Amino acid sequence: MSEYNVINSRATRLDAPAKATGKAVYIDDMTLPGMLYGALLQSPLAHARILRIDTSKACKLPGVKSVVTAKDAGLIKYGVSPARYDETLFCHDKVRYVGDEIAAVAAVDLATALEAVSLIQVDCEELPAVLDIDAAMADGAPVLHNDYPGNVCAEVHAEFGDVEAALKTCDLVRTTTFKNKRQDAAFIEPQGCLANYDLSGNLTLYSSTQVPHYVQRTLSMVLQLPIGRVRVVKPYVGGGFGIKAAANHMELAACLLSMKTGKPVKMNFTREQVFTYGRARHQFIHTMTTGVKKDGTIVALKHQCHLDGGAYSSFGIATVYYSGSLLGGPYKLPNMKYDGYRIYTNKPACGAQRGHGGVAARACWEQQLDMIAEELKMDPAEFRLKNIMVAGDVTCNDLNMSSLGMKECIEAIRDGSDWKSKKGKLPKGKGIGMACGFFVSGAGYPIYRSDTYHGTVMVKLTEDGGKALVYTASAEIGQGSDTTFAMIVAEAMGIRLEDVRLESGDTDFGVDLGAYSSRQTLMTGHAAKEAAEDVKKQVLDVLSKELNVPVSDMDIRNSFVVFKKDNVDFSGLRTRYIKEHRGWTDNPQSGPLTFTEAARIAYLAKGSIVGTGKYKPPQLGGKYKGAAVGTSPAYGCSAQVAEVTVDMETGQITVDNITDAHDCGRAINVTSVEAQMVGSVSMGLGEALFEEVKFDNKGHVINADLSEYKIPTMLDMPSVKPIIVESDEPNGPFGAKEVGEGAIMPTIPAILNAVYDAIGVRIHELPLTPERVWQAICDCQKEK
Amino acid sequence: MLLPKFDFHAPETVNEACQMLSEYGLKAKLIAGGTDLMVNMKKKILAPEQIISISQIRELDHLDVSGDRILIGAGVTVADLCESKTIAGYLPALGQGANNLGTPLIRNLATIGGNIGSARPAADLPPGLMAYGAEVVLQSKAGIRTLPLDNFFLGPGFTALQPDEILTEIRILVPPAGSGAAYVNIGIRKAQDCNLVNVASYFALDSNGIIQNARVVMGCVGPKPFRAVSAEKILIGQKPDIQLFEKAGEAASADSQPIDDFRSCATYKRSMVGVLTQRTLQQAWTRIKNQE
Ligand SMILES: Cc1cc2nc3c(=O)[nH]c(=O)nc-3n(C[C@H](O)[C@H](O)[C@H](O)COP(=O)(O)OP(=O)(O)OC[C@H]3O[C@@H](n4cnc5c(N)ncnc54)[C@H](O)[C@@H]3O)c2cc1C
Repeated sequence: MSEYNVINSRATRLDAPAKATGKAVYIDDMTLPGMLYGALLQSPLAHARILRIDTSKACKLPGVKSVVTAKDAGLIKYGVSPARYDETLFCHDKVRYVGDEIAAVAAVDLATALEAVSLIQVDCEELPAVLDIDAAMADGAPVLHNDYPGNVCAEVHAEFGDVEAALKTCDLVRTTTFKNKRQDAAFIEPQGCLANYDLSGNLTLYSSTQVPHYVQRTLSMVLQLPIGRVRVVKPYVGGGFGIKAAANHMELAACLLSMKTGKPVKMNFTREQVFTYGRARHQFIHTMTTGVKKDGTIVALKHQCHLDGGAYSSFGIATVYYSGSLLGGPYKLPNMKYDGYRIYTNKPACGAQRGHGGVAARACWEQQLDMIAEELKMDPAEFRLKNIMVAGDVTCNDLNMSSLGMKECIEAIRDGSDWKSKKGKLPKGKGIGMACGFFVSGAGYPIYRSDTYHGTVMVKLTEDGGKALVYTASAEIGQGSDTTFAMIVAEAMGIRLEDVRLESGDTDFGVDLGAYSSRQTLMTGHAAKEAAEDVKKQVLDVLSKELNVPVSDMDIRNSFVVFKKDNVDFSGLRTRYIKEHRGWTDNPQSGPLTFTEAARIAYLAKGSIVGTGKYKPPQLGGKYKGAAVGTSPAYGCSAQVAEVTVDMETGQITVDNITDAHDCGRAINVTSVEAQMVGSVSMGLGEALFEEVKFDNKGHVINADLSEYKIPTMLDMPSVKPIIVESDEPNGPFGAKEVGEGAIMPTIPAILNAVYDAIGVRIHELPLTPERVWQAICDCQKEK
Repeated sequence: MLLPKFDFHAPETVNEACQMLSEYGLKAKLIAGGTDLMVNMKKKILAPEQIISISQIRELDHLDVSGDRILIGAGVTVADLCESKTIAGYLPALGQGANNLGTPLIRNLATIGGNIGSARPAADLPPGLMAYGAEVVLQSKAGIRTLPLDNFFLGPGFTALQPDEILTEIRILVPPAGSGAAYVNIGIRKAQDCNLVNVASYFALDSNGIIQNARVVMGCVGPKPFRAVSAEKILIGQKPDIQLFEKAGEAASADSQPIDDFRSCATYKRSMVGVLTQRTLQQAWTRIKNQE
């Protein structure tokens, strides 16, 4: 039995009835009186100089209310990281990828808006385009941004320890190169928004976003709106996975059009536009050299990485840092050198996607570690356990593992999958493999330099005493965060979950940096807990005065007031409460004092009872350049075993089972933790086996839909056995930390290692399509 | 994505529908489940002014055995094929195609007529149907004609259907005792995938256990599903066994005409024709043995 009343259980999600019945409101369900529809003109060319834009025909089309270009929008640069603001709302001098935004139209309906877009004439001079890393880095290659010669968007060089010297002391040194493919996160709801600029000059944007706060700031800055005039509201959102973690052009364009017309303007991406906007996982090319001792001690890692960034920076600065820093753990690694390069190409920008920056690096390294274990004749699980970090360890790049159930995760999957009786004993075509990983539980610093709190929460009691209302600007995007915070508030106040109501995703409710870097449970959770404790204290303080009982002798549990010493006479309070509610049918007649009565009495004494909470991580990380990226108040970690069957004649892979252990600190909602684990497996499996955004030689995405961009179907999903490993994270609310992203880390390498076990040949490029696997099997047979 | 504008008609008889087709000619397009047509219309590949739905025509819904023939109305849905005992009993290779087509939602809407009418080289039903030697019935105001399915497909999206004709029925001779067939398709993922290669094989034994008739049909490896003639020649006159199936597979590989595309390279597809030919022949052989 859990020591908790609400958390650490399987709660029904607050949004379940609305979503199950189709009543949940998403952007596409919203309308406002007089609403116009917007559409974007996007570049059909991958690289071109804009000579002239003529909107006159479009403006004349009946039903068109506004046509805007860079002339109207201005040229204020923005982006994700202030260090690399390299986008403007509309292109003015050049277009840099197929899909780059040139203009936008608002009209009475979508058909008219689209027709008007087709009437905008753009004269341009086509420029040679660079569509991959090699072309972009070649001598004399066309340059996308004049400020970045050689198309190097960002580079990172970091060394901890002395790698070259350390490698000389190693008994075994191995080098491998690995490649993943550009991803699309394939969330179910394409981006959409509805902008409303009202007569008093206030702008409200409803948007399918993960980060109302950052969108608010970008809108204010780019549209030059005064502080306090911009509000961003997030209705229900159908997933984001990192792609919706920054303001997009459509949001800005809809706002600009609403400001021009004085009317609400709605815009949506089609699925094709989701692909051409991009901002999902980069393609990474990693080369890693790892050195170990004979006994299996890992000594050094030399790591080089190139990222195909696309035309703009987006999250890329953080990405290129993360892909190096996230190899600091979970193994003891005294020497690590990293050289990372993010390269501009004439394709949609890449950004952050679940497991930001770390997924391909992890896949490369965990496969290489298995190769090394094999050469050392060590069991892969034993090899990993030998090098594993434990709680309290600090990585060579200064990441502090304040809690770490990594060892327990490995043991759990080893035992849970019956590893010992399977590894090395399966017939040809069957394989088993394992891998580990870890991830931040919230970025240690905001994206822009600031002393801001990362989350604030307000809890207010209804004046009639019935319920606690929670207001948070955090973003429920399908992951279940609303339910998590309601549970935390209920637990901290001592009331039942059904006595909590929660509103979220509105910048008017406070500051919350949003749903990215797996931060909300820990950070918003802290603020929610603090606000709840504040309210509880205020109620108990009033009771203490009224009843003349010290606060320390009282508590609230299951929505009742509990007196630790007997014989407290509260009948006077009860009589007062009942008098206040004459004629109501649910007045308490007997039994213990209810929270409802206490809350009403508190209101009568003090007016509205409002509690506030806030959270900001302490100073984290080292002093070197880029030390901030990778820091976090806590780290989640996970290990998985994959079991596969490979059809040796066709190369088709079936993933039969995944045994999946994750350390999430204390699980708040057990069902949601498991859902994140299983969802992560699905996303990792897709990237491992199927997914790749493909381009033609002109820079068009050729599989910009979900029939040709192949995410796993239910039939591709293995049975997943989720095992929650609980550690008590000292920096987490009730000991909780992340599960949303760390859980994806081991999936790809576990599958890679299992496929090797099945077919006897290593594959160093994703995805493992039947053709690629078949080719590898054929090549290997030819060699023999 | 917005649909282009069109008028919508829902006749209740084949005659009515033929009348409309003869009136509107090339401006009209038939719609059955719409799972192919609507995609093309949303992508603006097609913009017919008149859409004639055949979903209200009850004459197209039958699936019966009549004498020595199995008759399947063009409006029978893929989900119906999956559930039909007639299909499972007499035409399991067609059933395998139906069960591998799309998703439950798509199968509920998609029709056999639409699958044939769309003439996609990778479609799941034609190989099985051709392996069983199916015939299609085409009707217009001028009358009715029948055509072997082999001669119906002309190329990707192109068929022998005239603009004023409706495909009303698919006819298949009840397969004789001592015959068997099977269908296997492969894609990148397990479902809802455009096939990389699909093959259906059929053969019938005489009373001495000699293959007297064989059809091997390959999809995805040419502009339309087509027969692997040299594989069939290798089979006919021989006793079935694994070595024979292997040889037939090699011959089918050689008969195939795959091209490189963004889904997969020709070498892989050619090689898979061989594997699937062998596997379908083996399955067909198992089915024959199970009858005994
Ligand atoms: C998500 C998705 C997945 C799919 N997966 C598969 C798959 O796995 N395998 C596969 O083979 N297909 C697949 N398809 C394609 C499609 O579903 C099938 O081809 C289906 O059988 C088409 O049938 P329909 O009734 O929907 O045809 P419709 O779209 O209604 O019609 C298709 C074409 O046939 C013509 N037509 C229809 N009926 C007749 C008739 N009686 N006489 C003459 N012409 C006619 C129409 O004019 C049109 O040109 C998929 C489609 C989608 C959207």
